[in-house]
Amino acid sequence: MSTADRGKPNLSREQPTPAQIARRLISSQRSDASGGATPARAAAAACDNLYRELSRWVGPDGCHALFTRALAEARADNAALQQTQLRARSDPYVDGVAETIMARGEPATADALESMLVRLVELLGRLIGDDMATKLLERSLAASENGGAGSADRREEA
Amino acid sequence: MKTEELTAIRSLPSGVPGLDTVLGGGLPEYSFNLIAGGPGSGKTILAHQVMFANATVERPALYFTVLGEPTLKMLRYQRQFTYFDSELAGSAIQFINLNAEVLERDLDEVLRRIVSETERAKPGIVVVDSFRTIAGQPGSPERAASLDLDKFVQRLAIHLTTWEVTSFLLGEYAAEEQRNPVFTVADGILWLSQATDRNSVVRKLQVVKSRGRASMPGLHTFRITDGGLQVFPRIPEQTRKRALQKPDRLSTGVAGLDEMIGGGVIAGDAVMLTGPAGSGKSTVATQFMVAGMASGETGVIAVFEEYPEEYLARANARNPEVGRMLDEGKLELIYLRPLDLSVDEALSAILESVERLNARRVVIDSLSGFEVALAPTFREDFRESLYRLVGTLTATGVTVFMTAEVSESFSEARFTTEKISFITDEIIVQRYIEMEGELRRVMAVIKMRGSEHSHEFRLYDVTARGVVVGGTLTEYDGIITGVPTLRAKAVKAKRGK
Repeated sequence: MSTADRGKPNLSREQPTPAQIARRLISSQRSDASGGATPARAAAAACDNLYRELSRWVGPDGCHALFTRALAEARADNAALQQTQLRARSDPYVDGVAETIMARGEPATADALESMLVRLVELLGRLIGDDMATKLLERSLAASENGGAGSADRREEA
Repeated sequence: MKTEELTAIRSLPSGVPGLDTVLGGGLPEYSFNLIAGGPGSGKTILAHQVMFANATVERPALYFTVLGEPTLKMLRYQRQFTYFDSELAGSAIQFINLNAEVLERDLDEVLRRIVSETERAKPGIVVVDSFRTIAGQPGSPERAASLDLDKFVQRLAIHLTTWEVTSFLLGEYAAEEQRNPVFTVADGILWLSQATDRNSVVRKLQVVKSRGRASMPGLHTFRITDGGLQVFPRIPEQTRKRALQKPDRLSTGVAGLDEMIGGGVIAGDAVMLTGPAGSGKSTVATQFMVAGMASGETGVIAVFEEYPEEYLARANARNPEVGRMLDEGKLELIYLRPLDLSVDEALSAILESVERLNARRVVIDSLSGFEVALAPTFREDFRESLYRLVGTLTATGVTVFMTAEVSESFSEARFTTEKISFITDEIIVQRYIEMEGELRRVMAVIKMRGSEHSHEFRLYDVTARGVVVGGTLTEYDGIITGVPTLRAKAVKAKRGK
């Protein structure tokens, strides 16, 4: 059996950009069972979910290291992330979202969190290659879509 | 369904060239295996090759990582190998990190997680890397108190086999640790090692245990290439069948030499041509190959002393057919000078070419260069290894023509390198002599199993078209010393003229 037969068909022949992947991760949280998550809360939920799913692959410490670097890079360009904290081995993972929304407003917070996700996708691509990174992230997305209560729900409950 | 069909254990391909031969056909399906070895010995690469050779979306492979090498780094490095197919990663091959279970919980939790992931994914292959970090150091009090390793290993093996999984535990173990319970439970143990001798490092693999399989004993060399591990099985001595009836004769491409050996070398023989530097050994070897090409045969030349480009340029200058035959795929030129070469690696490369071309002639130019190319550890048993190499090649029916350099001495007659002459059926020697103030070349046949041959010394020249054999030296004595003298009768005859 050839490797081509063994792999799943490639859903997207063209490699999506990091921004496109980040947007897909966020929109999956907006369209989950809760339906009504705001853009900023959906972005935070996408981060929570990605942390949980990626931790399965690379371990919580490895995943936290990736997010920490992505946050540091995104912070340099986006002051709205100053109050954002990452809580390793916690759910929700991204802390300080409500405070940021209060201080900066909903759109700015959503943009800032999205920029962190973009940095994370870029970083993962640099480390293991864009194709592998995309596959890992798509798998996280699929797991999230197949899961029960979405991260946005849990975030609301929290 | 027949009973035999029910009980027969299917073999999985290892994905490692050469390893299935060593394993006696492949990896037994549903076996519980240990891949042991020191740091950098290739355990992770081997496990990945097994996964990429077998994993499917329906029967994926689960790769549990535990402490040790971080998953991201492992993926980053593994994907450099040609076997790594990123299409399979994530679907047919799933990576799962067990750090949290190992660091914060206990062995029961580790087992529960492995079993639950196995139930979820229904994998065909499970790898735990590194198992050693789960099991802890033997005898460490903190581990001994909390972990019952024997029970853990037993339960893990039972669970994985019940789920019809072929599993691999990877661990850094030293040879003296073989009383570890995992060694008892394992169905198969592959041990990877690196032997250091002076500046050379040779990688070796041993199948320490293989339940229900007749694996090849001993240590087998392997190399890590862009394609991952490649194992060179230690080929056992082969039995060669020499034809009892009148054998085929193969022309050497040197008319005078054919005449000296009774019409050509005997097909299937191992022939050695020895001589000092510059005596024309490579030239005769090339002529031997070209003669085969002219008869429609295919052949392989293994060079050890020169770069293939240089060898080819020189061979082409005398025999333009060489380049043409290479282009047409009737001849292969193998250059074997990697660092720390093993005899089995050389044999593997030559055999592969012989099989690919269905070759009838093989030239090894030269044994002296071959010995130098070997890692020091293999030079020690060069005779034995060469015996196996020549035996294996001639067992396939090819005729092997080898050259060997011997140092020239005018005070001592050394026909062949005494270490290796016993492996050959036919020996031809070349040497320099001094005649009438000139350096001349002579050749003689000193051994030819099962055939009459000339006992004369014959003068020869190395010309632009190759070696040309000339007349005999019947009027001279002491040729063997390198400084022949004209017999008294011949002197008188000369004076009479």
